Amino acid sequence: MCKIIYHPKYNLYDLGESHPFNPVRVEMVLDLLHELNYAVEPETPDPVTPEMLYKIHDKNYVDIIEALSRGENKTESEQLGLGTIDNPITKGMAEGARYQAGGTLLGAKLLLENKTKKVLQLGGGFHHAHSNLASGFCIYNDLALAIKEMTDKGLHVVYLDIDVHHSDGVQKIFYNDDKVMTISLHESGEFLFPGTGWIHELGQGMGRSLKLNVPLDPFTEGESYLEVMDGIIEPALKWFKPDAMIVMAGADAHFSDPLADLLLTTMDYEKIFKKILKYADDYSNGKIIFTLGGGYSITATPRIWTILYLLIMNLEIPYKLPPKWIKKWSKKIGKEILGFLHDQLPAYEPIPRKSEIEKHNRDLIRRISDSVVQYWI
Amino acid sequence: MLISEVMKKNPVTVNFDIKLNEAYKLMQDKKIRHLPVLKEEKLIGVVTDRDLRLATSKLSEHPFDPETEVEKVMSHPVSTTSPNDPVERATQVMRELKIGCLPVVEEMKLVGIVTNTDLLDALLMLTGVHQPSGRLDVRLPNKTGELARLTGLLSEQKVNIHSILTYPDKDGKVRLVLRLGSIEMKMLAELICNAGFEVIWPVHIACVK
Repeated sequence: MCKIIYHPKYNLYDLGESHPFNPVRVEMVLDLLHELNYAVEPETPDPVTPEMLYKIHDKNYVDIIEALSRGENKTESEQLGLGTIDNPITKGMAEGARYQAGGTLLGAKLLLENKTKKVLQLGGGFHHAHSNLASGFCIYNDLALAIKEMTDKGLHVVYLDIDVHHSDGVQKIFYNDDKVMTISLHESGEFLFPGTGWIHELGQGMGRSLKLNVPLDPFTEGESYLEVMDGIIEPALKWFKPDAMIVMAGADAHFSDPLADLLLTTMDYEKIFKKILKYADDYSNGKIIFTLGGGYSITATPRIWTILYLLIMNLEIPYKLPPKWIKKWSKKIGKEILGFLHDQLPAYEPIPRKSEIEKHNRDLIRRISDSVVQYWI
Repeated sequence: MLISEVMKKNPVTVNFDIKLNEAYKLMQDKKIRHLPVLKEEKLIGVVTDRDLRLATSKLSEHPFDPETEVEKVMSHPVSTTSPNDPVERATQVMRELKIGCLPVVEEMKLVGIVTNTDLLDALLMLTGVHQPSGRLDVRLPNKTGELARLTGLLSEQKVNIHSILTYPDKDGKVRLVLRLGSIEMKMLAELICNAGFEVIWPVHIACVK
């Protein structure tokens, strides 16, 4: 029992032709599923209103974004992170972001009303949006809005973020919250934006020990990634016993991603998604929402999210990609697309520092466990 | 900048069963304030001059006897850092936990200690991490206009510079620690490299001449 959420107006959140955060990624997923003869019948969300966003964001911040999105000039824009390389001001961006936030929020409502156990929201995932700061391609924090909807109804929620960047916005919004555990696996802030997500960021006050961060070494491979998942996420879920999980499934930890340096393959992603679905079955009564997120390799990201769709819907994963789809999209994006859904091995050159990286990541498991053990009793 | 560059190597340590008065004398002799405490070679705590003074103060309701073992008054569990950690991270830990030192541990072995004094020394050459940002270290010729050329490039790309710290580098060059408000650091690093500057960090996208 899984619901898909999508609205064509998500595309209004378009930051420009050459911007990496490109709506074409989801169009490619939908078209691929169509070509594979899977009928996608999504629930269509209403957009959230600007007022609904005041729960997460400062009123002033929301009002300025809405005005900018209508084409008005606002001198405060740069202070709020807008009009920058990452967050250019485009017409309709606020409406697009509100549709996407509406989608993630609808996911939360469907879980709360017991209409489904699993949700795949084919959008959202704006984890860098702060209460009064646009950052890293994000303006409205749909994830925080959905989490808040659930915690307001008394649920305990685990937010799991596998995007390659630290989920600084979501973490900060819930840093003191004892109903929300956030877990972020990311490439270390020593090397990657936003420069936070260290293991000592454990939460404050009632939220202490409920915010976990795993800053992985660059060039971390699938095996080590999965080891870290078992070493950190599983014990955390077992202890916290959430009522629901929300997963930000950014696809930018893929080896071909142009913005980051982790080395996951599509096969690794399949294992990761299966593992997360199993975690939900074992520890959150099967209740789980997936959103999309980062993922800037335009040939890999649609394949990864298609795999996510097929797994969550319990459908067979085909070996080959439909030729019609390949032809159409390789022309449109101007890039070669190989004939297979999964990556072909060997995907990349062997990494000389492999064992050192594994050791570093294993050390993280130990250090994180050591720092939470005094709280998890 | 890493902890290994600022830490004191081979720190003076004490065994868990050393007496308070002995630890006090040791601190006086060595002119130090922090002593990592070991038990069977394993780090189990830190005893500070403040721990000793508070524990034995006559103002205390139940002062400890000077013959007490340090294990009874030491701070624990102990937070540690590793030689490859950047100094800003250790600073954040010490700030958050309100402590004055971190033992430095590598492969379960104590290899050094870093105190707030060491970090103050490092401060001039460091940058903060308070805003979401990517960090680039860039080397520039120590020449009029070079920094302007670099920041001009960033401005053209609509990149907000959150912080720049500079310190002199070898061969008459200047080293910059830049914190930029952008997720697209690889692209920016390439741009800066192509303009003839040297990008030194992150190492895997560096272009050192």
